[in-house]
Amino acid sequence: MGRQLTYGVVTKDVLRPLFKPSTFYMAGIGVVLLMLAIGGYCWYQQLTWGLGVAGYTPPVFWGVYITTFVFWIGIGHAGTLISAILFLFRSRWRTGVYRAAEAMTVFAVMTAALFPAIHVGRAWNAYWLFPYPNQRMLWQNFKSPLMWDVFAVSTYFTVSTIFFYVGLIPDLAAVRDKTKGMIHTLYRALAIGWHGTDRQWRHYMAAYGFFAAFATPLVLSVHSVVSWDFAMADTAGWHSTLFPPYFVAGAIFSGCAMVITLLLPLSIFFKLEDYIGVWHFEHLAKMCLLTGSILTYAYATEHFIAWYSDNPYEWDIFVYRATGDYWWVFATMVFCNCLAPLVWWKKSIRQNYFWLFTISIFVNIGMWFERYNIIASALAHQFDPNAWTYYRPTYIEMGILIGSFGWFLIWFLLFVKVMPSVAIAEVKEQVRPPLRDLEAAAK
Amino acid sequence: MSTLKAVYAHLDSLVDAIAGLKRQGLKAGDMAVMAPLPRHEIEELLYEGEPSPVRWFTMCGAIFGGASGFTLCALTQVNWPMIIPAGKPLVSIPCFIIITFECTVLWASFLTLAGLIVNCRLPGFSLPKQVQDPRFSNDHFGIVVDGLEGERLSKARTVLAEAGAVEVTDG
Repeated sequence: MGRQLTYGVVTKDVLRPLFKPSTFYMAGIGVVLLMLAIGGYCWYQQLTWGLGVAGYTPPVFWGVYITTFVFWIGIGHAGTLISAILFLFRSRWRTGVYRAAEAMTVFAVMTAALFPAIHVGRAWNAYWLFPYPNQRMLWQNFKSPLMWDVFAVSTYFTVSTIFFYVGLIPDLAAVRDKTKGMIHTLYRALAIGWHGTDRQWRHYMAAYGFFAAFATPLVLSVHSVVSWDFAMADTAGWHSTLFPPYFVAGAIFSGCAMVITLLLPLSIFFKLEDYIGVWHFEHLAKMCLLTGSILTYAYATEHFIAWYSDNPYEWDIFVYRATGDYWWVFATMVFCNCLAPLVWWKKSIRQNYFWLFTISIFVNIGMWFERYNIIASALAHQFDPNAWTYYRPTYIEMGILIGSFGWFLIWFLLFVKVMPSVAIAEVKEQVRPPLRDLEAAAK
Repeated sequence: MSTLKAVYAHLDSLVDAIAGLKRQGLKAGDMAVMAPLPRHEIEELLYEGEPSPVRWFTMCGAIFGGASGFTLCALTQVNWPMIIPAGKPLVSIPCFIIITFECTVLWASFLTLAGLIVNCRLPGFSLPKQVQDPRFSNDHFGIVVDGLEGERLSKARTVLAEAGAVEVTDG
């Protein structure tokens, strides 16, 4: 932090970007709405004509939608890691970035949650995914990993949203106390009568610790459960005990990269560099280096085990991924996830905004392709050579993919204009408190 | 009876004021201390390490969630038994652990939220107007003492002022 911060300065700085949209911001909203419209149109086409407009080719019935579902669930993980796990470890660098990262988690899971409904085709029946009492006493199969996933994702979304809102309450009170009129009335309702009394802070801190403790195992469990959607199946290239740690590392890797992608422009455009600066981005880059290294090791291990297992089907799918029809997907994945982040080992590149942003984009792309590589190639090249095929996404699927980015970004852009993007109360904890004795000594 | 409100610009002044009021025999419930951030000094002075009862809500939620998650899985399987080859159990603990875990976390979170709301007495729209000072969410600290009269009131006023209050008012 460059200049001397006080409690008053922190409140003023963090609330400054709220409510007054610039032309640049409105242009961003316009682009994002266009992306959303593309996605909306494509989904409308699919709802009208059925899943035939997607590129599904027997036996490939999981494609871009499941790839994108896993991608967005993974993105959410970094937010929870930063807000919960690093809170329990009392990591100081999380303070500036955790609010926006947590918002990213909630919006990413909201985006991911659309995809099961899109993927099943008849979206109006998506509520069948949830267990509910019905006339015929029919229940889902709770031994299925797909049901575990329903529980894991819905729990993750609910707990993340509660954690996010509880964290916001003291800051909503700060916004309430700085606004007038209708906006004041709105924030008064949102802050539910928070006034920072000793009673409120005491129970708040206890509850916040519990929420962090619950969110911590969720970081590890949700993507493990997502990985079992694949690993529990007997499909070559999927049926591996390596998947849970491999998926969790990949999720945190992609999520940290997405935090860099989102927060770098936020910090620059909203002049929040005293709160989200090089120090924070460098730590995020180090997180990417750690998890990216685990991921690279996992890629190597799964190839080694496929070879060493002496299972011809298993080995064949790994050879096919690297050299067959999907070689370019594999190459993109390896370049973006294993090679590109290596430049971050150099400190000056970790501290350079251009390279931070560029590499984070590479990682985002690479992590989408990783899921595509796992899903599409394994289904297109199963045990029976007569059933081998080549899955090509249609413009409908790619349009919905673009729309998912629009959906995610519209929420994020609205968030940065109506909610404090930096946790005011927590940043104040990092600032030297105003002390009478210290001021007297200075005089 | 009168309500006293003191506003402080410095944390150490606030801490001195709380300590002074405690020496006069006042306890946590007799005063409200406002701060823009959580400070351990305040909590330690007022509650002396007594843990928040929120934890009991959390524990009840976790037990209920875990039990209900497992029960949902087990009873629905027994209610509509599927023929499973190779002697695999109908009620399979490893399979049901995941939903049990998710329900444990979900319900523990719900009840922690309930515990927070109940113990913080939220929504707090009806708190005294002295407590509702916009400075307390920004850069000032405050103490509101209620229910004092006579000599105790004047002594408390003196303690609040001598600790270094920027403002002491009677409500």
